[in-house]
This record gives sequence, C-alpha cells and structure tokens, in this order.
Amino acid sequence: MPVASVVFAFVIGALIVLVTGGDPLAAYAGLICGGFGIDCTQGENSALQLSNTIVFTIPLITAGIAVALPFRAGLFNIGAEGQFLAGAITCTAIGIKLGDWPTAILLPLVLVGGMVAGALWAGIAGVLKATVGAHEVVTTIMLNYIAQWLLRYLIIGGPLQLAEGTSKSSPIGAGARLATILPNDNSLIIFGLPASVYRVHTGIVIAVIAAAVFAVLLWRTALGYEIRAVGQSQKAARYAGVSARRTIIVTMLIAGAFSGLAGAIQIAGVDHNLTDKYFSDTTGFDAIAVALLGLGSAVGIVLASILFGALHSGGAVMQSDAGISASLVLVLQALILFSIAANFLSAIRLRIPGLGQAPSAPAPQAVAAALLTEAAQAPPEEPTT
Amino acid sequence: MVRSLRILGLVAVALMVVSACGSTSNAPAAKVIKVGLVTDTGGLNDKSFNHLAAVGLAKAASTGNICSSLTCSKDFSVQGDVVESKTGDDYIPNLTGFATKGYDLVIGVGFLMAEAVGTVSGTFPNIHFAIIDGAGTDAKGNDLKHANVQSLFFKEQDSGYMVGVLSGLLEKQSKAPKNNHVIGGVGGISIPPVNHYLAGYKAGATMEDPSIKVLIGYSNDFNDPAKCKSVATSQIGQKADILFQVAGGCGLGVLQAAGQAKVYSIGVDADQKDSDGSVIASALKKVDVATYTSIQSVVNGTFKGGALTFSIANGGAGYALDNLQVSSDIQAELDKVLGQIKSGAITPPADIPPPV
Repeated sequence: MPVASVVFAFVIGALIVLVTGGDPLAAYAGLICGGFGIDCTQGENSALQLSNTIVFTIPLITAGIAVALPFRAGLFNIGAEGQFLAGAITCTAIGIKLGDWPTAILLPLVLVGGMVAGALWAGIAGVLKATVGAHEVVTTIMLNYIAQWLLRYLIIGGPLQLAEGTSKSSPIGAGARLATILPNDNSLIIFGLPASVYRVHTGIVIAVIAAAVFAVLLWRTALGYEIRAVGQSQKAARYAGVSARRTIIVTMLIAGAFSGLAGAIQIAGVDHNLTDKYFSDTTGFDAIAVALLGLGSAVGIVLASILFGALHSGGAVMQSDAGISASLVLVLQALILFSIAANFLSAIRLRIPGLGQAPSAPAPQAVAAALLTEAAQAPPEEPTT
Repeated sequence: MVRSLRILGLVAVALMVVSACGSTSNAPAAKVIKVGLVTDTGGLNDKSFNHLAAVGLAKAASTGNICSSLTCSKDFSVQGDVVESKTGDDYIPNLTGFATKGYDLVIGVGFLMAEAVGTVSGTFPNIHFAIIDGAGTDAKGNDLKHANVQSLFFKEQDSGYMVGVLSGLLEKQSKAPKNNHVIGGVGGISIPPVNHYLAGYKAGATMEDPSIKVLIGYSNDFNDPAKCKSVATSQIGQKADILFQVAGGCGLGVLQAAGQAKVYSIGVDADQKDSDGSVIASALKKVDVATYTSIQSVVNGTFKGGALTFSIANGGAGYALDNLQVSSDIQAELDKVLGQIKSGAITPPADIPPPV
C-alpha cells in the first residue's frame, strides 16, 4: 500500500505539472538528481546531493518514531513538533550555559537533556489523557503552540537572545556539537568540492540506533507487548492485567524522548544555535506522514524518512533546473498522505455495518488506517476498585 | 488535522507558483553570466522583497544590453535561475547548490540568510555573493567581511519617513478615518531593517503632527498573516486608524484587518495597492534596483565586496500613493519633504527612540 500511495502521488503530480505547462519528466529528473545524485545534467555534485538528503533524513527518523510508537498504543501524537522544539531549546540552553565543558560530558548531556525535555512535554499530554481523559490530539496540538511561542520569547527579547535586534541564540559550545563525518575543512577537496560542504554528521548513527531500539522495544519487550495490547483493545488489555493508564503515560514519555532527541540532534549536528528558522520548522508534522507511510515499523520509517529527505533535497534542484516550483514537493507529500488517508476512509466503512459492501475479513494492509481509527476512540476507562 | 489544512493551503499556493514562475533561457554562443537567486521562506509570491528581487533578476536577464562600461562587450547575456527556500534548513543547501554549479553570482534575499551567506561564501571564495538587507556573518552576527560578498542595504527610514509624513498630515487635517491622532506600525521581528522603517515612520508622522501617538507592535513572524492580523486588531482597538505593515507576507494580515475595520493601511517594500482596498500608500524599498545593480557590477567586472546602500537620494527607496486621492497641499508637502531628504536637509532616524 505505501508503494502504491507513492506511485499514485507521482502520477497525479505529473498531471499537475503537465496541466500547468511544465515538463513532468524534467521535473522528476530534477527530483531524482537532487534527491539521490543520479543522472544530474546541469553540473550538480552527486555526493553533495546525497549528503543533503541524509541531513534532511536524520531528524525525520527519530521524530517519525515519536509518532509511530503512540500509534501502536492507539494514541495520535500530533505534538512531535512541540516535543522537537522542547528538545532543541533544552539542548541549546545547556550547550550555551556549560559551553566550555569537554565533549565527553557535554555532548551526552545536551542529547539526554533534549530527550528529557521532549519526554516531559509529551508526558503532559499523556498524564492528562490517562487521568482526566483529555484527548491527546487536542492537548498535543496546543502544546505545539506553547513550544513555538516559548521559542519566540526565548530568542526575541528573552534570556537566550544573542543580542538586541537579533532573532537567534548564541551558538552552543564546541563540546556540545556532533562531529561531521568529513572534516569541516575548506582546503580538503573531496568529490571535487571542499569537504565542509558535506554536512552529514554523526547524528545518523544515533538515528539508526534509535530505529533499532524502537523495533526491539516494540516487539521484544514486555512494555512493547503492553503498548500493542492497549492499542488493540484497552478492555482486553486490562483483562490481561495491563494498566492502560500507566501504559499511556509511559508511551507518551518515550515518544517525547525520541522527538526531543531529534531536536537536540538538529541543534548539535547542524545548526549549533536556535534561529528564527525554527519558527517555521515542520519536522514534527512531516514525521506524522513518515510514520503513516512507514506503517509504523522501524524499517518503514527509515525508508519513508529517506524518501521525504530526498524530496526535500530534490525540490531545489527541480526548481533551478526544470523551473518547476519547489512547492511541487509539498504537493507530492500531500498526495502521498491523501492516498493513505483514502485507505483510512475505506477502513471506516468496513467497520460500520450497512455502509458499503464489507468483505468477510478486513484487509491486512490497512494497518496504518486501522491504527488511526483506534486513535480516534474515546479516552480509556479504568476500573476504580 | 492541522497538517492537512496546511497542506491544502500549500497545494493552492503551489499551483499558483508552478504556473507563475519559470527560468529564463540564454542566448546562444554568447558568454553567459549565470545568476542564482535564493529566496527566503517568504517565497516568490510574498508581494514583497523576494518578489522584487526576482523582478530585478528577470530585468537583467531580459535586457539585451546590461553593460554600461567599455570592458563589457555585447556578447554577454544573463541567465537567471531562482530557488525558493521552503524552510530555513534550505538556505545553506540552496546557496551551496548554485555555488557548486559555478554560478557567477549567487544572491541571498533577506536579513535572515546572513549566517548562511557567511558560511557558504567562506567555502567558495571564488564565487560572487550578494545579500539583500544583510552581510555575510558568523553565528554571532559579526560581519565576516569576505571580499566576495556584496551587502545590499537600504535606508528604509527614508521610505518610512515619507509614509509617516503622509499619515501625520492626514491626522492633522482630520482626513483620517477616525482622527484620534493615533496611528500604528506592525513589525515582523525586531531586526534592523524593520526598525529602520518604523523609526522613519514615527519621526515623519511626529514632524507633521506633534500630538500624534504612534503605536509599535511586533508579530514575531514574517509569514503567517493571522499573527499580524491580531497585532493590527489590537492597535485598532487602541484607536489607531492608519496602520503601517513592516512584516512581509505576515503583514498582508495587517492590510486585511485594516480593510475590515474600515481604517487606512500602508504597504511595504513593493507597491501593495492591489492587496487590499485599505492601502493608501506604500513605502518602497527597491530591491529590484539593488539586484539589478549587483548583477550589472558582475557583468561589468566592477564587483566589489562590502556594503552598497540604496536610499531616496540614489533612487533605491521611495513611496507610492495608492487607493486614496490626496489634496494638492498634501502632495506639495510630500514633494517638499522628498526633496529635503534627497538634498540631505532632513536625515530620517534609523532607530526608534525608546518610549518616554
């Protein structure tokens, strides 16, 4: 199904380009060149394009997990963006305050700090859901706004502002930075370009480890079993002795930690300071699409992240080479989501008797869609005895 | 879902952009000067400086004879390509992309790209860079003074002063919608180019109408009209009846809020006459002139690093009267002040005086 969604998106995207007077083949050639460095015709550097794609992919993997894990527990975490920002803010704050500490201590500290901040941010929604039944979709969206405005306050007039008349923070100390894979050196020429243009950093290792941890947690631990049990049926889970409340809170805490880690990695590995660009950051929202497209599995999330990273990186080349606006990439992402959501609609039809012709068994590939409907259900009821 | 709503909007915008833009082609068998333009996240349809920069580039690319010196023969042509930055994460890759492809000049649009231009211009010392509204800086905002970076600055206070004079005159002569001697200015983020405009605006209005109260607010955003609309609405609530927007795409919300409340508004950067019926004037920042000038310097071989400043005196700033017929005495006063700024008799302030 995910492959079909992507194919569907690209076919419709080609029609849109055609109707608006562009050349779809040129557009997609630009995307492929920009995303994967293949078949570049106008002097793009393949290694550089691949490097850009990887840089965009890294935060999507961990943020995607932050959305996928709660899906498994029947929770819809729209707040990955807020948790991402909480992680980025905390990483920056620690990285500035303790800027002269050595890497061995400071780097783990900023990454763990980002995870804790993200976990707490998501934990608020988890506790509210488990105790008073406040819907996590609403609370996480609101927490996104709070994080976004907190960030604005902090770097415009607040304690993290670099100087009057700026909209960014000071850079974090050298010890808080993730090393780039290639040395940050202008005189060293690699693949025909100065080495410093390749910005791939060691966060890629952390992201891959995070994906592995996610897979193990979900399928090889008691907690993972409980999360899946709660996601499939809270009543049955409770009957089996699983506390839905506890599982909901723990799930949100872990999810937030993954998202906070993504924010911390982005600061420590790429930007080194908070800037106004985080006002319009969309990592946490793209993560929702990544989690859906990846069907909530670790491998799927990694593949979906690479696709979205390549689309992001390819959009610019498509615009400069083929003259097609980079916004087409956003259209493609939307179409991918749309076709997944369309499946979601058919899943709803299957569940409501009398609507449409339901086949004898639900289609097994509608996993993500089924997760969505679970997520839309009412808050849990716990026995009070 | 927030995401899907956002995307719906983006689809609509994308369709417009896809149909509206295209790269220009080059003449055969001539030395081609390649110019790459990287917009900030406002995009080409911001009706503001990204749009104007593209206009300047298109003009350079379509003009047969851009050369103005003897060293430059007719065999030059300019090829202009544009990339829009979708997020701030795109600045460095987009600038680097043009630089690695051997473009002669790479132009970054906007103060917010200063750090990215600083980084990339250091990596590619043999490529010319230009940046609108900023310099190539390090992470702490210090100008790195790379010899290959041209900073295109504007005296926004000149343009701000002119629309301030107009606002002050309207209030003094009781020709404003409510005549409470209160006007407002909505800035995006409190950064130098925004504050220059607002400082000139306040000084110009106060010069004409000493009793006037000028409200200044910031939306802390450049892209989302809703955020500016709420700042504008609160200023209208405080009796302001002329609102000056200095917030790029976000500021379009100010113009709409003014239209709905039946008060006047003033556009920024480009002539925003068509954005809303409430727009009585626009403070112009001729980014197209600056972009063209920079491209011309590369073609002529006269490119120099460092700052170029555009003002009313050299035709790089100004104002436009829009959806309002002004009386001849107001027009006369505007002409007089414009002349005084041009001659140096009036120097509009660059900084907003702190509230007393």
